[in-house]
Amino acid sequence: MRPAAETKDFRRDLVSLLPKLRRFALTLTRNANDADDLVQEACERAIARSHLWNGEGRLESWVYAMTRNLWVDEVRKRKVRAGGGAVDIFDQSELRVEAVAEKAVYANQLQRMILSMPEGLASVFLLINVEGHSYRETADILGIPIGTVMSRLSTARLRLAAMLSENTERRA
Amino acid sequence: MQQTTGQALEVRLSAYIDGELGDAERAELDALLARDEDAKVMLDKLKAGSAFGNKAFEDFLHDPVPLALVRQIKQGSGINPRSERVATANLPARTVRVWPRALAAATTLLLLGGAAGYLAGSAHYVAEPESTASARPWIDEIADYHRIYSRQKEHLVEAPASDGPKIETWLASSVGVGFKTPDLASKGLTFEGARLLVVDGKPVGQLIYRDREGDIYAICFLKGGDTPQTDQFREDIRDNLGLVSWQKGDASLVLVGPSADAGLRKLAEAVAASI
Repeated sequence: MRPAAETKDFRRDLVSLLPKLRRFALTLTRNANDADDLVQEACERAIARSHLWNGEGRLESWVYAMTRNLWVDEVRKRKVRAGGGAVDIFDQSELRVEAVAEKAVYANQLQRMILSMPEGLASVFLLINVEGHSYRETADILGIPIGTVMSRLSTARLRLAAMLSENTERRA
Repeated sequence: MQQTTGQALEVRLSAYIDGELGDAERAELDALLARDEDAKVMLDKLKAGSAFGNKAFEDFLHDPVPLALVRQIKQGSGINPRSERVATANLPARTVRVWPRALAAATTLLLLGGAAGYLAGSAHYVAEPESTASARPWIDEIADYHRIYSRQKEHLVEAPASDGPKIETWLASSVGVGFKTPDLASKGLTFEGARLLVVDGKPVGQLIYRDREGDIYAICFLKGGDTPQTDQFREDIRDNLGLVSWQKGDASLVLVGPSADAGLRKLAEAVAASI
């Protein structure tokens, strides 16, 4: 059994990770309520499996991968419930844009722009460009090939550049 | 290292930005960028998108984290995390990916300047209004102080516990708040000593304790403060720190400790009863 001090440290590390974990969850769900549910579930699972965490590498990578897996399961369940069949959103060849329903919560326009990006782009951009994960780590966390990571990252960067340009023009 | 030969230019340049390419491919792209204006424009776009996205993602960290979720992690109790939220004010340092070579530094500066210019100029257009430093709650500054001082091994306190009653005389006269140093030994905390801080131009007394695991706890107090006049204890989370604040007479007090300590509020109640 894990010593009390270690359990406390793990929970403390998890709490410290919450803002980043929630941000990562938002890139997956693009919906605040879903993100909160997902983070809660991921934390519960991480605590239940904390004895498996060997302390090597980045804790967030371990928790992120868990979070991503939970979300893929959830999406799969929803699709089955909706009669759409079981399709892994990360395996879709076509990216699609979904409306962002949380406008009241995410009034910040920059955030809304990010959340309106086609599925799969924001997560890759966040992990590599913002948080400094390597392509390999990102591929492992998201369960996708490195080639997909690379193409999504460049697409995300160009979309963000286009958003920047559009807004600059609108303001001019 | 990744192999991107044969892939779209934007994919290759994106990997180039991230230092994910081998020397040979990097040299190839260096040569391409030196002679091809379109490639340079593409590189600029990718970097502009990076800078723009970084700013946007940083803003996400300002979003409130459900307080109930924090409690649940700490205590393992079943609470609906949507029911309560608390803002995170102090953000963990963002990991910065260092572009591996100084190549195209001038281009990068120009590009980032453009993006920064947009972001600065668009602050009123897209960003939430930011509070001024003077409007910052005092406990946020206390959390900042705590982060710095709690890491001090040799100089954790200004006046050691061995100074005894002199600490109470010194801080009470400096802060203008009479107090008695709480004995928290029964809670597993050893009194280490005290510090005098300044927050928003006001003196703040700080009593510092250490638990058996080496975690640092601090009781801070000042005359006045911005804590609403109430007998209630208020709990806040600032990343890895938990803060429980309350009011006593005309003094504002806050107990700071690890956010993972599920008993922080009870400890604050014990402090409030004995200070």
